[in-house]
Amino acid sequence: MGIDVQALLDGFLTTIQPMNLFWIALGGFLGTVVGMLPGLGPATAIALLIPITFGMEPTSALILMAAIYYGAMYGGSRSSILLNTPGDGSAIAATFDGYPMAQKGQAGQALAISAIASLIGGVIAVVGFIILAKPLASFALRFGPAEYFLLMVFTLSAIVALAKGQMVKGFISMCIGLMISTVGIDLQTGVYRFTMGNVHLSEGIDFLVVIIGIYAVGEVLYNFLSINKPVGEKKSVGKIWITKEQWKRSKWPIIRNGPIGFLIGVLPGAGGAIASMLSYSMEKQVSKHPEEFGEGAIEGLAAPESSNNAAAVGAFIPMLAMGIPGSGTTAVILGAIVMLGLKPGPLLFENNPDMVWTFINSMFIGNLFLVILNIALVGILVKILDTPPRVLYPVIMMLAFIGTYTLGYSTVDFLILIIFGFVGLFMKMLRFPVAPLILAVIVGSDMEQNFRMSLISYPNAIGILTASPITIALVLMTIISLGLPFFSSWLKKRKEQKNNSEAM
Amino acid sequence: MVRYITPILATVVGVIMLINAINLPKSNLGNPNGPMYFPLLIAIILIISGIVYFFQEFKARGNDFADFRALRIGKSPLYLLVSLILMLTYTVLFERIGFLYSTILFLAGLLFLLNGRKKWMSNIIIAVAFSFVTWYAFGTLLQVSLP
Repeated sequence: MGIDVQALLDGFLTTIQPMNLFWIALGGFLGTVVGMLPGLGPATAIALLIPITFGMEPTSALILMAAIYYGAMYGGSRSSILLNTPGDGSAIAATFDGYPMAQKGQAGQALAISAIASLIGGVIAVVGFIILAKPLASFALRFGPAEYFLLMVFTLSAIVALAKGQMVKGFISMCIGLMISTVGIDLQTGVYRFTMGNVHLSEGIDFLVVIIGIYAVGEVLYNFLSINKPVGEKKSVGKIWITKEQWKRSKWPIIRNGPIGFLIGVLPGAGGAIASMLSYSMEKQVSKHPEEFGEGAIEGLAAPESSNNAAAVGAFIPMLAMGIPGSGTTAVILGAIVMLGLKPGPLLFENNPDMVWTFINSMFIGNLFLVILNIALVGILVKILDTPPRVLYPVIMMLAFIGTYTLGYSTVDFLILIIFGFVGLFMKMLRFPVAPLILAVIVGSDMEQNFRMSLISYPNAIGILTASPITIALVLMTIISLGLPFFSSWLKKRKEQKNNSEAM
Repeated sequence: MVRYITPILATVVGVIMLINAINLPKSNLGNPNGPMYFPLLIAIILIISGIVYFFQEFKARGNDFADFRALRIGKSPLYLLVSLILMLTYTVLFERIGFLYSTILFLAGLLFLLNGRKKWMSNIIIAVAFSFVTWYAFGTLLQVSLP
């Protein structure tokens, strides 16, 4: 166990091959561009750019998609800082102090610190990845169908529970995703399920079409609703630099929050949004100047930026080592790489060590490239923000349709895309969390197969739940994750009551 | 009333799924009811969630329900309706008149809708240019065959 230095070096040599460097640069650039567009985040960026990976080597495709992912995270922070419009949940915390800094004429410093914090956070997380990924993969080898089934149940319950105050909506969203996954021929018995007599549906609904529909078409339609609203005023960026004093203030927040973000990223369900929010509030509590938070405190920008990038790297561990994506975005990546013929899971590390280590190295190089891109070329990148959304959204819509066509060469998929585009729109309007649906669509089929395989070994549900110490632990974790929101709201109510009675 | 639509819809979908799951053909291989279990479980969770959601909405009936207001503001309904028509037209035309012409029409339609008629010149240029670029990129660089 431990770190295989030779494999790490071999991976580095593969990564620095010109073609792979090109994919890193292309992914990082395209991700940054899409991530910068207001309202569009990493998941949309990947969903939209999936067709580029067609015909590519799985390793290169994975490198490209990961680069798009963290590129979009960088891009999301650009629009947070400059326009006060975060690309997605994980970039929200960057608006709290990043935008006030830009308002004060410190846009250049804000962009620089965000890029540096993201780089350091990312690098800390890559080191964590190297240490943790292989042991986790070896542990996962002990998983049988019952363990996998319950791990998926736990992942789904964690993501539902995190839809704060909207758990019921999370469950409904999850059920829709699971329903979609049951359409088509049943893999074990050949029975046709829910195909409504349509031959096209006998192979099931392609989850990538669902993803492109909900993320790309749904997001664009949702943005149509606010297309007439004026965007935040963009200040001139100025020179990208930070002062010694600013570095001194942000150094520790960056270093502290990298590992925190990484660990949150590894947990199923919790993604960059939670990591950055947690880091922000924690940093505010330990800061010597909590009053400056929200007014342009550099620590308030550095901490979440380090943390959310680290979380993005951490989220790849459960995805690659166990085949379980922990967030909507990694679910999209998982879907895409499965389509390319890779099977993520514990054996990936045994069978494709070169791929895994190349990927790890690509994250190092990718983060470095993005800092250079974001500091040297920020003037050009910022120009992208001048492009009117009225022009960009139609183009994105068109790309979504072409991407869909390339998945199955059938315009029947267009109808599915349109349906899920509107499903995505209404879910956003009604504030339904989308991640449970996406995750359920992707793990649904595997979850069912593992469930039914466990039923062969254990005749009833109780047998599955108590099959091994791992299943018992997973059941307990599921109960805790679902019970925690109720417990914390009960605690909050009790505290309020206590405060009220004391005030009286 | 609007606030009850989604919970009722969720419950109804759950019930339909339940009925369909029970009526699934029995399998000749392995467990005859095997294909039924999982959909049944999903249907039950959906029905329960739908009912709980209904009561949550009922409890919150006095509060402002702003979720659908966006649909009534300004040009939003027009944008959505015309986009839907354009998307469906694109679906019909795509394989009949080919990628290039249908995409130019689709893109131009969306641009005229959002960007306005006054900018007709730039709308047409963008529609034609982007369609050609994607046609070339997908057809030649990525070697994806387009109709």
